[in-house]
Amino acid sequence: MSKMKTYTYFPGCMVPFRLPHFELAARAVLKKLDIELEANPGHACCPEPTTFTGVDFEAWITLAARNVAVSETTGLETLSLCSGCFHTLAVANHMIQEDENLKGRINERLKTVGLKVTGRLIVKNILHVLHGDVGLERIKKEITHPLTGLKFAPHYGCHLVRPLEATHMDDAEQPKWMDDLIEVTGAEVADFEDKMACCGAPIMPSDADKAFTLTADRIEKIRASGADAIIVVCPTCYTQLETQQKKATAKFDPEYSIPVLYLGELLAISMGMKDMVISNARRYHRVKVGPLLEKIGGAA
Amino acid sequence: MVVRRSTSDLAFRNWVLEQPEGETLLRCYQCGRCTSACPVAAIDNSFNPRLFLQKILLADESLAEEQLVWTCLTCEQCEVRCPEHVKIPHLLILAKVRGLVGGNIPQAALDRARAILAGGRIIMVNESMLKTRDKMGLPDLGQPPVDQIASVLKEIGLAKKLENVESVYGGGSNE
Amino acid sequence: MTKTVVVIGAGLAGIQVTQQLTDLGVTVHLIEKESIIGGLATHLGRVFPTGDCALCLDACEELFDGHHRRCQYRSLLTSKKNLKLYTQTEIRSITEVDGKFSLSIKSHPRYVLLDRCVVCLECINVCDVEIPDEYAIRGGTRKAIYRPISQGVPLVPLIDMDHCTQCGKCVEVCGVDAIDLAEKAKTRTIKADALILATGVEEKIPLNLPGYAYSESDDIITQRELARLIDPTGDTDGQVITSSGDAAAKVTMILCAGSRDLEATEYCSQACCTYSLKHANMLRDKEIDVTICYMDLRVQKASNHYLDLAREKGVKFLRGKPDRVVVRNGKPTTIVEDTQTQQRMEIESDIVVLASPLSPLASQSEVLADFLGEYGFALRVVKEGRVYACGTATGPEDIPTSIAEANAIALRVYADLEGGR
Ligand SMILES: Cc1cc2nc3c(=O)[nH]c(=O)nc-3n(C[C@H](O)[C@H](O)[C@H](O)COP(=O)(O)OP(=O)(O)OC[C@H]3O[C@@H](n4cnc5c(N)ncnc54)[C@H](O)[C@@H]3O)c2cc1C
Ligand code: SF4
Ligand code: SF4
Ligand code: SF4
Ligand code: SF4
Repeated sequence: MSKMKTYTYFPGCMVPFRLPHFELAARAVLKKLDIELEANPGHACCPEPTTFTGVDFEAWITLAARNVAVSETTGLETLSLCSGCFHTLAVANHMIQEDENLKGRINERLKTVGLKVTGRLIVKNILHVLHGDVGLERIKKEITHPLTGLKFAPHYGCHLVRPLEATHMDDAEQPKWMDDLIEVTGAEVADFEDKMACCGAPIMPSDADKAFTLTADRIEKIRASGADAIIVVCPTCYTQLETQQKKATAKFDPEYSIPVLYLGELLAISMGMKDMVISNARRYHRVKVGPLLEKIGGAA
Repeated sequence: MVVRRSTSDLAFRNWVLEQPEGETLLRCYQCGRCTSACPVAAIDNSFNPRLFLQKILLADESLAEEQLVWTCLTCEQCEVRCPEHVKIPHLLILAKVRGLVGGNIPQAALDRARAILAGGRIIMVNESMLKTRDKMGLPDLGQPPVDQIASVLKEIGLAKKLENVESVYGGGSNE
Repeated sequence: MTKTVVVIGAGLAGIQVTQQLTDLGVTVHLIEKESIIGGLATHLGRVFPTGDCALCLDACEELFDGHHRRCQYRSLLTSKKNLKLYTQTEIRSITEVDGKFSLSIKSHPRYVLLDRCVVCLECINVCDVEIPDEYAIRGGTRKAIYRPISQGVPLVPLIDMDHCTQCGKCVEVCGVDAIDLAEKAKTRTIKADALILATGVEEKIPLNLPGYAYSESDDIITQRELARLIDPTGDTDGQVITSSGDAAAKVTMILCAGSRDLEATEYCSQACCTYSLKHANMLRDKEIDVTICYMDLRVQKASNHYLDLAREKGVKFLRGKPDRVVVRNGKPTTIVEDTQTQQRMEIESDIVVLASPLSPLASQSEVLADFLGEYGFALRVVKEGRVYACGTATGPEDIPTSIAEANAIALRVYADLEGGR
């Protein structure tokens, strides 16, 4: 057996407490791939990039830098399961690398708590780890229950991918890494318009109706592709597309619904851990995933 | 939506230019590609990122009071397409920051910010959440170091600033 | 002793600098990679500022005193004693020994002998192979033995061996034994005192340009492709038709489609504003509705009347850089903010034309790499007394500027080589 690789796990707020089934699925899948996640008690809220930035940007980047500095002390690469957290850490890290002035200013503040940020940290999201570090070949070996005959729509979400100079993802307009991971499970990737469109969630606090218009448009375009489910990485996209789906689809077809699965859940199912997903389905999925899981068939 | 008034001094513009990545503003040549790329502009004609940048260029601080800036998704679709790599959503974020004292901040955003300062998280973690984690076999994550947050933010004085802010949006959060 | 110069590239600039130097008694080897000379001009049809055929430019005497350009169709390029033209020729190496250049060049076979063929064109008639014509936009074809364009110099046909079936019909029909299906490539070494890069530009094919969907529809074309559509000698006989064969009634043009863009081509391509106006005017003459989406219009003074004319003819101008073109119900729809009215527009049209950047051809050749500067363009004087450049090899520009530069460089080279400063 190959040796375990450990990443520093940056939990954030949403995944561990609102959507712990994300963490459960991710940990289970990663474990099969000989990866362990190690949390650090020094971490706090990233802080989230869609509203706190507009409260006080300098405070946002300072708090983000504190988290980066905590991660640096672990000497490991940092993995975040949340796209918001990933974005915050990656962008803050990048800005610090690019701007000596900013770095100096922030380190003055960090000094008060005995921390220091260098900008050398490597921040990763789940796609970096699965697609890059582990590799498709290795993952393929763990697929015991191929999802042939199903078609999934990858919803990447903005903050996972952009801006490229900070996220180090493959493409800002036509990313492919999640597509590849869906294909590895044996499923087909749905082709739909506006691959990188936003789920709408960030403006829920300021204009929910507009947000629903965007969410509805998103789901309507995905519907046209005939996808069986939407696959997401981000807890915020998940919440928007999942729990707000009914309000959104009311705008074009109140009858329509489409399950939303976390990428980790999808991989877990294809790796034979369907039971684990089922056991959390009722509690954490507002759009029924039962029928979909039946389609996948067979006890896992 | 034409610029209604502009302040005679350049305070707003100069402040933006001093912020990290703020000087990307000067690369904007007002081509309008951002506006035609923007999904929010597509459903609301009064949301026009190009015009927002024009206001900053003209040092028109009325932008900071525009509730519209808070309907930016920070999706960066505009930035991806901008021929000059202007950090558009970031510049709008800076406008939001300037609007804080005037209360141009959605209630939910204010709540989240206060929660972070008070508890280190945007959500309140309750017993049942901890129990669920335990049942799932997920490790205990401990308490965020709130004292450290206060300490690194001292110089910025955010806690003080937030004390007196009242959201002009009113109402509770949508969460 | 007579001096010898190698001119690389037989576009209008290369032809001009060659004519001038040979007139001054300098020996010139003119090297062209294509089978005919003329470069970009072979695609263009009529050109500003005079509206004449790009290939037969004697007519513009009033404007430019007759000397700056010559008709290549009737030019002396193939008959001057001190001028040697090599077509289908690539440069394999350039070495500098004792103050002289030594170039190894390889000429690919034409399979039709230049000194025998009488251009009766019987061979083209009998050839059975039909394949897509590179100069055609709407599915026009050519034979395996063919002439890229009818005015192309040399006028003699060539055989495209990738598609020739070796049936021998052309060999049989040729009355002067001009066809040699077994002709081999020739490698030669030539010596020269100086080099002139006149390698020109090409219009970028915008396959990977985000937003403008070029690869998704044959009704999203470039300005060069539009020039082929308008040209009466093109495969549509000058009719502007859509990919489904209907006459176009509405055309939208997008300027700077890739130019002045940090992600694509950083610089301004200089000539596209004016040739877009030229094309817009030609479309208006056919009563086609034209909208030009621009950021600003950069028109050379000598061509300003094209802008005045466009306004007179009712070309619509919209100030704004479109974000994207989407194909809806088979029609390209341009999404753009009209920055003057601040309205977001969705303009449906029959054809969308992209002013795609002009990018340097020299940067595609490894042996020229040492002579190139920023973006792959060369300085006019790369190395005093030895290496020069003119025309669009030095940066995108229009024909008058390219020709003026060719004249200036001819004099400069002559003075430097003959010591007559
Ligand atoms: C659609 C369009 C319309 C235009 N309309 C007008 C107009 O109306 N009026 C106007 O003034 N201008 C117009 N222009 C611009 C005009 O075409 C150019 O200014 C002019 O043709 C440039 O001539 P050139 O000799 O510098 O380059 P080119 O014409 O590009 O010639 C360069 C030659 O060098 C050859 N070459 C390149 N590299 C090598 C190599 N390594 N070895 C051997 N040979 C090589 C090429 O094959 C080519 O034949 C237009 C351009 C376009 C794209
Ligand atoms: S796309 Fe960029 S350059 Fe154009 S108006 Fe918007 S910010 Fe300015
Ligand atoms: S980041 Fe904001 S301004 Fe830019 S496209 Fe998205 S919503 Fe529009
Ligand atoms: S090759 Fe022979 S048949 Fe063909 S054009 Fe020349 S002379 Fe005529
Ligand atoms: S010449 Fe005009 S169309 Fe061409 S790049 Fe320059 S400004 Fe744009």
